[in-house]
Amino acid sequence: MSGHVFSAVQQSALDPAGPQAERIGDVWWLMFWVCAVVMALVTLALLGGLLHARRRRESEAPQPIAPESHRRMTWVVSGALATTAVILLVLLAASVSTGRALGSLTSPDALVIEVIGRQWWWEVRYMDDQPSNILTDANEIHIPVGRPVLIRGTSRDVIHSLWVPNLHGKKDLIPGYVTDTWIQADRPGVFRGQCAEFCGLQHAHMAFLVVAEPPAKFQAWRAAASQPARPPRTPLELRGQQVFLNRQCALCHTVLGTDAGGRIGPDLTHVASRRTLGAGTLPNTRGHLAGWIVDPQSVKPGNRMPQNPMPSEDLLALLAYLESLQ
Amino acid sequence: MTRDRPVSVLDASDLPTVVFGPRSTLWWGVMGIMTIEGMMFAIMAVSYYYLRGTAQMWPPSGVVHPGVGITTLSLAVLLASMAPAYLAARAISREDLRGARNWFAVTVLFGIAALVLRAMVLDRLTFLWNSHAYGSLIWTTAGLHITHIFTGTVENILFVILLHRGPVEDKHLLDARLNSFYWYFVALSWVPFYVIFWLDPALLALRSAALP
Amino acid sequence: MSAEPISYPDDDALAEDRRRLEETWKSRPGLLGWISEVGHAKLGKRYVVTAFVFFALGGIEAALMRIQLARPEAGFLDPDLYNQIFTMHGSTMMFLFAVPMMLGLGVYLVPLMIGARNMAFPRLNAFSYFTYLAGGLLLYSFFFLNIGPDAGWFSYVPLAGPDYSPGKRADVWAQLITFTEISGLAVAVNLITTIFKHRAPGMSLNRLPLYVWSMLVTSFMVVFAMPAIMLASLMLAMDRLVDTHFFNPAEGGDAILWQHLFWFFGHPEVYMIFLPATGIVSTLIAVFSRRQTFGYLTLVLSLVATGFIGFGLWVHHMFATGLPQLGQSFFTAASIMIAIPSGAQVFCWLATLWGGKLRFRTPLMYVLGFIFTFVMGGLTGVMLASVPLDLQVHDTFFVVAHFHYVLIGGAVFPLLGGLFYWFPKMTGRMLSEKLGHLSFWLVFLGFNLTFFPQHILGLNGMPRRVYTYPPETGWGDLNLLSSLGAVVLALGVLVYVFNALRSLRSGPIAGDDPWESESLEWATSSPPPPYNFHLIPTVSDRYPLWTRTGDEPVVTGLKSDRREVLVTNTLDAELDHRDTSPGPSFSPFFLAVGVAVTFITSIFTPWGVVIGAVPCFLALLAWFWPRLDQGHTVLKEKKS
Repeated sequence: MSGHVFSAVQQSALDPAGPQAERIGDVWWLMFWVCAVVMALVTLALLGGLLHARRRRESEAPQPIAPESHRRMTWVVSGALATTAVILLVLLAASVSTGRALGSLTSPDALVIEVIGRQWWWEVRYMDDQPSNILTDANEIHIPVGRPVLIRGTSRDVIHSLWVPNLHGKKDLIPGYVTDTWIQADRPGVFRGQCAEFCGLQHAHMAFLVVAEPPAKFQAWRAAASQPARPPRTPLELRGQQVFLNRQCALCHTVLGTDAGGRIGPDLTHVASRRTLGAGTLPNTRGHLAGWIVDPQSVKPGNRMPQNPMPSEDLLALLAYLESLQ
Repeated sequence: MTRDRPVSVLDASDLPTVVFGPRSTLWWGVMGIMTIEGMMFAIMAVSYYYLRGTAQMWPPSGVVHPGVGITTLSLAVLLASMAPAYLAARAISREDLRGARNWFAVTVLFGIAALVLRAMVLDRLTFLWNSHAYGSLIWTTAGLHITHIFTGTVENILFVILLHRGPVEDKHLLDARLNSFYWYFVALSWVPFYVIFWLDPALLALRSAALP
Repeated sequence: MSAEPISYPDDDALAEDRRRLEETWKSRPGLLGWISEVGHAKLGKRYVVTAFVFFALGGIEAALMRIQLARPEAGFLDPDLYNQIFTMHGSTMMFLFAVPMMLGLGVYLVPLMIGARNMAFPRLNAFSYFTYLAGGLLLYSFFFLNIGPDAGWFSYVPLAGPDYSPGKRADVWAQLITFTEISGLAVAVNLITTIFKHRAPGMSLNRLPLYVWSMLVTSFMVVFAMPAIMLASLMLAMDRLVDTHFFNPAEGGDAILWQHLFWFFGHPEVYMIFLPATGIVSTLIAVFSRRQTFGYLTLVLSLVATGFIGFGLWVHHMFATGLPQLGQSFFTAASIMIAIPSGAQVFCWLATLWGGKLRFRTPLMYVLGFIFTFVMGGLTGVMLASVPLDLQVHDTFFVVAHFHYVLIGGAVFPLLGGLFYWFPKMTGRMLSEKLGHLSFWLVFLGFNLTFFPQHILGLNGMPRRVYTYPPETGWGDLNLLSSLGAVVLALGVLVYVFNALRSLRSGPIAGDDPWESESLEWATSSPPPPYNFHLIPTVSDRYPLWTRTGDEPVVTGLKSDRREVLVTNTLDAELDHRDTSPGPSFSPFFLAVGVAVTFITSIFTPWGVVIGAVPCFLALLAWFWPRLDQGHTVLKEKKS
């Protein structure tokens, strides 16, 4: 199954999958065509000027500009300038009205998701009126198709920026601030996003996926994800759980339903259902998982997870346990 | 090129060598320095209001006003020091070296008094620069300004020595006048911060005390 | 202005006068001469060469990044080194190349163009250079000790703050800023005063060459913008060293305050680089299309308007932080409207080209390349001003492409053309036109090949400042193309440098005015004597060398046995007074050393300020120590 989630990466501002990105796409194409025409005209004027000038002899002494040609040039330049001003006003109006339209894409019955930027991963919390129903996940944002989603962003450390180009532009996640952004997916799909504000050593490896699913599928996922971790079923899984709890893993990671309650790294209650490891760094396969556990520093140098050398029987057991955390 | 020898000339040999005010280049240099430093003070003030606007509580709890009396006295002494500086400049204009020296000496005394009073104000503060952002702003701004009073006073002392020791040339008259000019800037630049840091909170406290 | 036909000194007297001037204005020999130099031409050339060396270093850093990014998941640079290198690249190009290069070229050209003998404050000029040099040496020494800054040229807090950047890397950056800004501010004040007070008689402000206008506006921008970043870097250094809390949200500070202060400087900075380039373009267009530049008044007003509006754009770097809607609209409007003065300039240049008698020499080639590239960068700039669109492309390779179009196309192309044009004046020798054209085409094509694909990469979701990217993103091919373009671009720069080095030794002798140019720097020998002009020329037109009849008066009566300079009044440049210009001095060097001691020790301890104050005080004392000048009257204390 290696890499199948990556085979169809969607990460482009030019392929909108929701109303926000759609509107911005419209502004883009308007500006693109206007600018392309302006560019073409300026290039023509430049080339025309060169051809025009080529016909003259170059040895003549420099002259002041003759009055009648000065008058003609004044008219041309003023006309060009007035045209420029009009074009700019149109673009300004288009931009401001799009800004307003984006601001109005809100809804009272939105799904509220809190996204917290961490060096270098994303903590994702699905809010609920009942605090006990809040679901904590990492590096994947599941949303129902067709329903507005309010993302409340903040940061625990430095400034990050949340960006899923297919859905919307960026919003910075700033320590000490909560920043709101509205997204909505109009078609199902997996959209890749990435931190867009330089946030230190592994800024390059701070990606995430937005998984847009039909509402029923989303509800099913949420219900499953809200369950505590499945208890180990085989001796190997049981041994793996002990490895997990007895080694340093539990100091940083939470697995609901066990004693592991660390908050430094991502919640692992349902780690096996996630598509990637290390915040979008690797596909979540057995081989990559083993490599990540033993030697995360060679994959993503500088991240907070230490090296974990262990006997191969322990590792196999641990892998079996983690893979059971569906 | 055209002719080897010009046919007419502008003769500069009668022009003066010492002029004052915007005619002199040094005046423009001093204006430049004052603009730069004025910008820095303005940015400090803007930062103060910015942080005040984002803060939940301003000033933070535990901050006690150092006292209207001492802060006002400190400003008053600083402003009063402009008078001897002005008189020194006037004496310079009359080429009265002794008068200028004496008035600069008086300016130095005022400068020292202003420094002592400023130290007393800082001593009364209930917080340090590392207590909170408010403390950082107050101490840094005060520090920047104290550096100005200090270096200005050192400059004034040097002028007293120069005028005493000699030899004084006519070009030094310009330097001495600009020295007074700069001192006005040092004194006046504290006025906005007196209002922002000490007067405004005192008035606010007065008003909120009167309300209930 | 009244000129009197007087008894003009005979040839022998004139020769004797020139000999004495030569003696009075000569520099000290050797290394001591290098340290004590106060001549604007020598310091200006030194600025240009130093800045070019930093340009090369920044270029090498860029090349290393392009090697790393050429393929997905490449292992050429590890993330720690990559982050240092992109920080070094940005900081070098902005603080050690672009601004010092533009100001330094101004230091060389402005006095010559306005008929002055030196800058208004020659020793301050030397101090500026040494401070700049010290800042550059500091940055690179620490970089080679693996203490190079790694939080970006913008050093956003809290990443650059005490909690997330332990060690001394961010402090090195903060002090680099202090060095270069002190230097830049000093040059700006110096240029403003020189332009206002030292113009040749008759060069009223409405006859000021457009290049000098551009330096004047730039200098004013420096004076108003750079204090913000100096203060910001002071706050950052204090947050890190003495635990202040300016940017610490936990103690009432604010991370966004940094961004406001940084971009209040950072956006005008772009115009400090771009405006001198427009001055160069206006000059070159006139000379190589053999006619006066069309729309002098429009061009001057555009410069001034850009100078003002340039201060109203900074927030467009911060749209993604989620500022209130109304504020955003204001900054969008300002950011879009700055295209009007820029457009006015481009139209005036195009109008001048149309109907000119073009000489397709290398400088003109660079100007033509500039117009194409700059318009392109300006158009993507308009896109970035739009908040919704900016939210998509902000901090992506689209922005990288945009500002390289504006900064390389908009400033480096004119600069390369300008240096080509003034090379004969600086060195007395001509460059090879063949190699010049070759370098232009390599630079122009290589540049577009490097940066055009980056627009598309940005739209396809590639953020800036990533040291690598996974293959599934599909960004590999365009990145490879971009890296290949960088090879071509680098070749072009190498050809340019080779051309310069070759001509230094064996280029044809240029003569005073090899381009048949229009402004005063070509009215003296190449390279000019240390006093620039034996007899200060007078000016009655915007293009003095094209309109001169030979009847223009010259200025006599300045002493030749001491460094005497002419001061004219601010608006109309009428004779005002004579001033004495200081000769070679060691004080500027010692003061720069004192300043360097202060800043470098205060990376490690707050007592650095006190330690450094001692050498600074001594150097200042030496600087201002009263010396008796010939020609000044000693005043006696009046007995009462």
